[in-house]
Amino acid sequence: MNIKVLGPGCAKCKTTYNNVLEAIRQTGVEAQVEKIEDIEEMMKYNVLTTPVLMIDEVARIKGRVADVKEIRELLTQ
Amino acid sequence: MEQVQSLVNEICPTSTQAWVKRGAILVDVREQNEVDQLAFDVPAIIHIPLSEFEIRYKELAMDKELVLVCRSGSRSLRAAGFLINHGFDPVKVVNMKHGILRWVQRGFPTKGDLSGIVDMNTGGCCDHGGNKGSGCC
Repeated sequence: MNIKVLGPGCAKCKTTYNNVLEAIRQTGVEAQVEKIEDIEEMMKYNVLTTPVLMIDEVARIKGRVADVKEIRELLTQ
Repeated sequence: MEQVQSLVNEICPTSTQAWVKRGAILVDVREQNEVDQLAFDVPAIIHIPLSEFEIRYKELAMDKELVLVCRSGSRSLRAAGFLINHGFDPVKVVNMKHGILRWVQRGFPTKGDLSGIVDMNTGGCCDHGGNKGSGCC
């Protein structure tokens, strides 16, 4: 599984990233996690509102912090 | 913070004035509460908040020159990139760097209350009038 957190590096993006790490720890899912802060890279994904949580190249949550519980659910679907 | 990228052409507020004079439309992607407080005073402007941009961008004419604007130039940069990725002409769609903050500094026309700009200037990258609708920055 490939997970990306897209955002300019603000507090909301960092919280989302940390929540992803925690959800992975809780579920034991094997995943590569990447934080994308580069604007050029973000625009390739057509990002408007951030943070964006992408799982296997699909944007699952946009424009808000994803909490650990919902990330856990997304990881185990 | 300067954001280096090559997808979107960027122009300064002074060049934006020239674009406006020749008929370009400003596209303001700030949220409603921000626009209510202080708006660009130009002949042709469309307001599409970034939080609604994904569903409303088709309201924009593809054959017109469009200058995307926001508070600091960050949100409008993403919106301009979004338009170009959706087939808009990168020659006709540009981002105005530094947003309304620099526009005000240059003394260009606005409508509304300038005090918020002074307050916002002291804030971090995500502070723009307590706005909750635009996501981060």
